[in-house]
Amino acid sequence: MMPPPGYTKTDLIDPFEIHVGPIYERTDNGTRSFLLIVDDRHVNGRGVVHGGMLMTFADLALGAAAWDAADKAPVVTVSMQSQFLKSARAGDHIEVTPELVRRTRSLVFMRGDFRVSGAVIYSASSVWKLLGQG
Amino acid sequence: MAEELRFPEGAEDISTSGFNRFIGPLYRLPDGESGERRYCFPVADKHMNAAGAVHGGMLMAFLDISMSRTSRLESGAATCSTVSLACDFLAPGRLGDLILSRVRVSRRTRTMVFMSAETWAGDRLLLTAQGVWKVA
Repeated sequence: MMPPPGYTKTDLIDPFEIHVGPIYERTDNGTRSFLLIVDDRHVNGRGVVHGGMLMTFADLALGAAAWDAADKAPVVTVSMQSQFLKSARAGDHIEVTPELVRRTRSLVFMRGDFRVSGAVIYSASSVWKLLGQG
Repeated sequence: MAEELRFPEGAEDISTSGFNRFIGPLYRLPDGESGERRYCFPVADKHMNAAGAVHGGMLMAFLDISMSRTSRLESGAATCSTVSLACDFLAPGRLGDLILSRVRVSRRTRTMVFMSAETWAGDRLLLTAQGVWKVA
């Protein structure tokens, strides 16, 4: 599938992300936004995007942004909180612009609102640890 | 490694369609001694990240599926929806692990199910979680 206009395919290296991808991204003023186009693999028996898929997308997008904030140092998820506000379906475009909340010497705090056509359907916040930083 | 794992007696495949099948196989196990609901999956190459650990998204998806199934079993409802889920990552999962989840119901009302859960690989505690589900 061709990326939507203005987007490029995100380089994925984790096997699980490659399995559930592709993911697309665009950069505005140095900040990356990420896009998931929901397809039949991502939905449950009711045709609704699976919560596990949304959390995987959040882990990927907030993790990539945390990595950007950590000057490309390796980071691992310490904790993540998710709120599921509204369902999304196959064909929906889900977009997030992860926000850096705080960065310390050893931790990065991130959050993100995930939107379909402007409406927030899911929000996540997560804490990341920089490896090798106490 | 994965093909050498032996599933406990009574394992039921809960990944027969949709996203569950796409990331599965996943199994429900007989309830634990204190009544907790139990589930498991064998870690395969597709579940990994590039650092050699099980991807956090896979671990959260497995907990979401474990807790969703539990909320349906407890409420008797055909469908339940995740409202919120908080996960803490205590240790990494590895290729070849048989990962087990244990889910306990803290409170159930007519419309909501409140749960806590843990994910284990052998004697290693990988995740702790709390979540709220809405009974459809």
